[in-house]
Amino acid sequence: MVDRSFEMELDRQFSDAPILPDSDLFAGRVTDLLERGWTFRRLLIGGLGVAGGLIGGGQMLGSGLVSRLGAFTAQSDTLVKMGFAQLPAARGLTDLLSAGSNLDDQVLWMSAALAALAVGLFVTRAIREI
Amino acid sequence: MAQSAAERASTHDLDLVAQAATGDRKAFGELVRRHGSAVRGLMRRMGADPALADDLAQDAFLAAFEQITEFRGEGAFQGWVKRIAARLYVRRWRRDSRLDLMADPPEPEADSGLGDMGAINRIDLDEALRALSDVERVCVSLCYGGGLSHGEAAQALNTPLGTVKSHVKRGLDKLRARMAPGQTLATPESVAHG
Repeated sequence: MVDRSFEMELDRQFSDAPILPDSDLFAGRVTDLLERGWTFRRLLIGGLGVAGGLIGGGQMLGSGLVSRLGAFTAQSDTLVKMGFAQLPAARGLTDLLSAGSNLDDQVLWMSAALAALAVGLFVTRAIREI
Repeated sequence: MAQSAAERASTHDLDLVAQAATGDRKAFGELVRRHGSAVRGLMRRMGADPALADDLAQDAFLAAFEQITEFRGEGAFQGWVKRIAARLYVRRWRRDSRLDLMADPPEPEADSGLGDMGAINRIDLDEALRALSDVERVCVSLCYGGGLSHGEAAQALNTPLGTVKSHVKRGLDKLRARMAPGQTLATPESVAHG
């Protein structure tokens, strides 16, 4: 029991640490190191991001991606136009719109009604969300 | 919202740890201010000179900030950092152990280097620790100051458990003789601290 109490006393004395006079200075030094490390990390990540972006951009330009995308877009546009022209209903609609017949008013009213319906649905949904 | 220094000073350790876990370095700075002396004191008691003690304590706090999400709050924050610091000291000590073991045991110094020397029991402990060999001092400090069990100390020192127990026992006997001369020597059961 005597030995156990001695060990407890030893534990207590080890825990009973003196407050060193420069404890604030020490804390400031550690905090400064943390801040410096954080700044360095941010600069490193930012720098790597910029470098990666530049390299990626350079690679994209170098590989002619823009011109290939342009060609692909033009090709798609042609295909869509061709497909659209082959649809009888769509053709009828284009004819209807381009003909300038007396059905113009009906089409406009229908469009306005559909738009109003869409707005109504959107507002209802928004109110529910709120 | 950022806390003022006065608010941080009255914040509980666990709340500061939670703030530090979100990257709040000022909250962590408050923890360093509160517990820095204890960790530095432990390093000195383990045998580090004041400059090395400060370096090791600093490294321990930086490591603690990196691993702060691993602190679950089961024990005290100070104990957790002390364990990190104690392991760092052991790593350093093992690296330099050849030099230390070949050197003559240091003579007791007049100045403990611990700053405030007001408490009699602290003088007792710091003075008594000087009577121990390096390895005894490290083993005793690891188990009592660093809060490691004998098994953990053996693992940290990469030494057999029995060897650590022997060093702790011898260290305790010397400490007891220095600090409480009238008492009996340690029994094997009392040495099984961890």
